[in-house]
Amino acid sequence: MSWRLSETKKAEAKRPAWRLSDAKYRVSKLVATLGRRRLGRVKLGRLKPFVGLITVFALACVFSPARRGEIIFLDFGNLTDILRQVSEKGIIAVGMTFVILAGGIDLSVGSTLAFAATLSSVMLMRGGYGTPETVVTVLAAGLLVGAINAAVITKGRIQSFIVTLAMMSAARGMARLVSGGSGVEIGYGDGGAPQSFASVGAKVGALAPVPALIFLATVAMAWVVLNKTRFGRYVHAVGSNETASRLSGVSVDWVKFGAFSICSLLAALAGIIHCAQLEQGNPNDGVAYELDAIAAVVIGGTPLSGGVGTVIGTLAGTLIIGIINNILGLNNVNANVQLLLKGVIIVGAVLLQRK
Amino acid sequence: MSFILEARNIGKSFPGVKALDGVSLGARGGSVHAVVGENGAGKSTLMKILSGVYRADAGEILLDGKTVEFASPRAAAEAGVAIIHQELNLAPALSVAENVFLGREPARFGFVDRRRMERDAGALLDRLGHALDPRQDVASLKVSDRQIVEIAKALSTGARVLIMDEPTTALAADDVERLFGVIRALVGAWAAVVYISHKMDELFRIADEFTVLRDGKLIGRRAASETTPGELARMMVGREIYYKRGGERAESGGRGNIELLRVENLSSREVGEGRAPRLSGVSFNLRAGEVLGVAGLMGAGRTELLESLFGWRRTTGESRVALNGRRLDVNDPRQAIEAGLAFVSEDRKAQGLALDLDVGGNITLAQLKRFARFGFIQTAREKEAARESIARLGVKTPDTRAAVANLSGGNQQKVVLARWLLTDPKVLLLDEPTKGIDIKGKAEIYRLIEDLAARGLGVILVSSELPELLALSDRIIVLREGRLAGALDRSEATEERIIELATLGNKESGS
Repeated sequence: MSWRLSETKKAEAKRPAWRLSDAKYRVSKLVATLGRRRLGRVKLGRLKPFVGLITVFALACVFSPARRGEIIFLDFGNLTDILRQVSEKGIIAVGMTFVILAGGIDLSVGSTLAFAATLSSVMLMRGGYGTPETVVTVLAAGLLVGAINAAVITKGRIQSFIVTLAMMSAARGMARLVSGGSGVEIGYGDGGAPQSFASVGAKVGALAPVPALIFLATVAMAWVVLNKTRFGRYVHAVGSNETASRLSGVSVDWVKFGAFSICSLLAALAGIIHCAQLEQGNPNDGVAYELDAIAAVVIGGTPLSGGVGTVIGTLAGTLIIGIINNILGLNNVNANVQLLLKGVIIVGAVLLQRK
Repeated sequence: MSFILEARNIGKSFPGVKALDGVSLGARGGSVHAVVGENGAGKSTLMKILSGVYRADAGEILLDGKTVEFASPRAAAEAGVAIIHQELNLAPALSVAENVFLGREPARFGFVDRRRMERDAGALLDRLGHALDPRQDVASLKVSDRQIVEIAKALSTGARVLIMDEPTTALAADDVERLFGVIRALVGAWAAVVYISHKMDELFRIADEFTVLRDGKLIGRRAASETTPGELARMMVGREIYYKRGGERAESGGRGNIELLRVENLSSREVGEGRAPRLSGVSFNLRAGEVLGVAGLMGAGRTELLESLFGWRRTTGESRVALNGRRLDVNDPRQAIEAGLAFVSEDRKAQGLALDLDVGGNITLAQLKRFARFGFIQTAREKEAARESIARLGVKTPDTRAAVANLSGGNQQKVVLARWLLTDPKVLLLDEPTKGIDIKGKAEIYRLIEDLAARGLGVILVSSELPELLALSDRIIVLREGRLAGALDRSEATEERIIELATLGNKESGS
């Protein structure tokens, strides 16, 4: 049995070599065709992230390894697993969309996730708190992080890049202080965490992972807030022209306060999910998550200058990254190559979206 | 007599639009050639073709009688055709000399020869008849001086044709005069200037020849000595549309004597580095249904006056403002809006419009509260209100979802006005409301101002265009260096009188 396994692995490991070069050729052809349709792209503006998503999805089907004649990539279990894998970063990216739309940036979300994850595990394991108290407290702590960010940015008149850079360090420090520097394992049963916490990272029925459902719910709520509420309109207005917004009586400081609070709140939510999925709260987790979130937002068509963009685009951007990672993983492509490809894709996506 | 720069039968199309069709133009050495036409007439496109930004689809460009083709603005500049855009292209943190020689610094042993650079820059400025310290930072210069730096920069590259796009938009009267002095020194020597402007009176002071464009076509060419502003205006629009003040308001102007706004001792604090002039002790009143004009040179405090009233700029303790007899104490625009003030700022793009929002979103921005319940926007009601505003002000737009950026200047300004009229204001503060807007658009905005005043709104109008101010205002107050220099009734107000008040005692500083 073990012999057979290693044999198939070897076979799979061989395949990517030619498949990858083939993929490169096809992608380059695709990029060339898309590039040629310059005039058509203007109208397609809002659909661009989906064109990218569909393209990536189609490519994934083509390059997926097959088992017994079935495409592994299209396996329902695999697809829901992609959603589950991207859910933490996806939730963070949704929050990041608010901040970037409003013309800011939040570099502290990765550290906030680590802080939220450790705080969760410490409360559950060392504090003996139940799931509801823990979740509410951790979300409140996340909100506080965002409130501090926003207060310093608006009252201190400091760029969000610098303020959240400072918070990136501070929140990481808080995470280490809370946990004593090392990871806190979650154990269930006597003297451990209540079983209900495990359900945060589990599946509903056999196939629907709770983190993925939370992610999709977050996207839906964010869409409603951004498109149907006054606050959402003001987020766009402030990102588009802060001075004009102020002169029109918009409370710009409150809008920023809201955007940064939502962003940190969602980072804390992602932290709770992270803790439940890994069954530990580690203060050293979540490094560079902020950059992945920003990448997803940008691939999703929201420029860093703010004002325009959609949370649906962010969903598409998140899925594009997730699918690419998944398909490269299925083909046993070296993790370092995955990183390299991600870099190429970020730049490629932005180039394709340029008017 | 021969042309330095000549364009023959230039044609240029953009998707769906024929921007230029068989347009010709010839600029002679030692003369100023003005290109006039409404917005959308094709002036900017023509200038962009002459300076290498666009390539023409048809026709040819000749420089000294030889056919040339400019691949880029840089190629055009190297051939001797330079353009000075409305928005200046200078590095504020560098000195005058560094800006003039940016990218072409004189070097010795690989190091910048600062002394030579400053000497050469000084010599260039002298030649333009303009004393300016080459070591000064550009950031500390007035807009008019920055323009001179741009001209010197163009000259230092050996430009013989200088294209200037609306150079006087941001200038007050005496700065315009100095700029004209520089232009005369320039053409007197050897160069040709191609000059674009909306301001007819200025054009007649500086231009030798006119080329009139309309809808991308050449309408005619006239020597300045053989034409009149009236004839040119007729050529530009194809018919006469001179603005005439509505007769009925002439009588009702200042409706009874109901005082709407009383301003006493308005003074504003220094802001930031204190480069903005302060206001000190400005007092006036505004009656319902009255248009109060505010005149003054650039930097006299006109914009500051409006900003102070609107809470955008801090005022000092002794300032007293009362609206309808009630004390008004506004510290930010929100309070001002609630009190019934509305402010159309001078810079539409930087301060007025949110270009990423659509037309409807821009119209309802200041009054979104009214169309929301529990924080949720009631889309149908919002759209309805936006549509009504569009119809009422005659905004030319396909629908409420169109991009504001695609509208013409006049229609963008109407969108800003629509936003403010939705707030149901009592006092309308207008800062250069027709800046960069073509004649037709201006006339529409004038009519709108008249209409609003007739309904009892008080309007405070700041404008650098004196004919506009004189035509619209019931009274005019003149500011000078942050103080009230005088107030003129409609019957006694003339351009001469206003300029006298605005410049009086300003001669010795003459900088």
